[in-house]
Amino acid sequence: MLSNVRSARTLPSTLRSFSTSQHSYKAACSIVPPVHHLVKIDKSKLTPRFPGLKYEKDDIRSPAYRPTDTRQDRLQEHYLNTLQSDLLLINYRHKAETKEGLKNRPWDGTSPYQLNRPMKKPRGSKSQLPDIRPTKWNNIPELESVTINTYVREARENEMLTISAALQLQQLTGCKPKVVYSKSDVPNWKIRKGHAMGAKVTITGYEMSQFLNTLSEIVLPRIREYKGISMSSGDRFGGISLGLTEEEVKFFPEIDLNQDLWPKTFGIHININTTAQTTEQARTLISSLQIPFNTENAQRM
Amino acid sequence: MSTPAKRVVSKGVPIRANLILSRIPIVVPEETKIEKQYRQYQNALERRLMWTFPAYHYFKKGTLSEHKFLSVQKKPITNNPNVWFPKGVPDIQHGRERSKAQEVILPKSETSDDSNITRPVEKNSIVTEADKAGDKSSLERQLRKTLYLLVNYKKGGWSFPKFDIDESRSLDLTAENGLRKIGGENINTWTVSKKPVGAIESKDGSLDFFIKSHILAGKFDIVKESKGDIGEYAWLTKTEIQEKLGDDYFSQTGYMLTE
Repeated sequence: MLSNVRSARTLPSTLRSFSTSQHSYKAACSIVPPVHHLVKIDKSKLTPRFPGLKYEKDDIRSPAYRPTDTRQDRLQEHYLNTLQSDLLLINYRHKAETKEGLKNRPWDGTSPYQLNRPMKKPRGSKSQLPDIRPTKWNNIPELESVTINTYVREARENEMLTISAALQLQQLTGCKPKVVYSKSDVPNWKIRKGHAMGAKVTITGYEMSQFLNTLSEIVLPRIREYKGISMSSGDRFGGISLGLTEEEVKFFPEIDLNQDLWPKTFGIHININTTAQTTEQARTLISSLQIPFNTENAQRM
Repeated sequence: MSTPAKRVVSKGVPIRANLILSRIPIVVPEETKIEKQYRQYQNALERRLMWTFPAYHYFKKGTLSEHKFLSVQKKPITNNPNVWFPKGVPDIQHGRERSKAQEVILPKSETSDDSNITRPVEKNSIVTEADKAGDKSSLERQLRKTLYLLVNYKKGGWSFPKFDIDESRSLDLTAENGLRKIGGENINTWTVSKKPVGAIESKDGSLDFFIKSHILAGKFDIVKESKGDIGEYAWLTKTEIQEKLGDDYFSQTGYMLTE
């Protein structure tokens, strides 16, 4: 028993996994007797046969390593040079203070049944909302990632269409997309659970900059009478979405220059995720990338 | 954080709106040597790990274009059990040596020499005519750096353009209108914010607020009426401004500028 304890103690921290949901049936050991808390053992990390598996993905010794900083990023340089200080100034408020978001409400303690009860949900919201802090040098809004997804309605008859949808996303981004499957049966829409229905890809870094540059410099200007992103777009926490129809997608040079290969294109949803705390801040950031917003109906929103 | 005590400014004290008018960089900044080498290394690594070029997708089988494409490609060395390969046995998949970066050669079209559509791209020089001539009043100089407008007042010497405010106008409007008064209407600017980026309090009690703005189009050119006050103007980088303004004034304003 003692020797077991000693060997478990010398395990590096990468071997411990404190989650109980995934490896709940796997071997576990305890460091301290009496046994209250079992530490699960990831055996692929223990074996000496696959040393590459022990490294993190951003470690160059790992087989999953991919280089990221491969060339100068024009958009990132522009952000650091010009946009960052401008956004700090634009979002500056005199005498700004942290605006607390809605939080769970405690019980008043008048009844013994309230003991150990989970707190009440906030008034006017299903879940707690984050605080909005004043913008300072360390929380200037910046781009985080772009997620592009496409849902192919015709794929319920022909699952093969999701392959060309995924291929289209790969052509637009240069990254490998994932096919998405329907989660549940919806008889009215003739959708069955587990059926491939579309594709999605999340891009960051250089690929994201490249995609946004193409979008704002080539694709959006070529759309006839494009008015801009709707002012109602935005998830309140710094994400903004826009959509392109299957006709508009053809303006991407990757597809435009190879039109013979694309008898069918697919409309896409583009979700731009930023570290902005409000939709207002996110709009300021995204409009600084020369992507217009449609302010015609702004009053109604 | 302590809140600054509320200041009461008496009415006689002059308040000025200074304009920091910048031309943002047109070209990306120059990479340092270490950045260049690091990115070169990462790029070579990425090319080695790259997926094999799917020629079958772009060139249909049996077509003339496929034949043209395949005829230009360099063939990798194939494995031969009777040969000793000192650097490892060739491992070829889809016509590519897997341990090396793939080199994809695009066939030249026959008409490329005469047609205008595929004429070679000629790069403009980063060093412009204005750089060569040392013309500091041109906007087309120092393309990699941010340029700021400085004017030479006949009374006060070089400084950012500054304008006394009257009571009816805000700081940003004072700065914008003042710029058009001295520099002409043929200028298109965008003021970043109504709030100033900084303020300087002089010993005589006067206050200088700094308003940030970018030039988008047009040209600053001193109008006839202002030629009595202002001698000349220049678009300068941060380092050049330090030389022009002197360390004392620059230490109070330098943090508002970028390279």
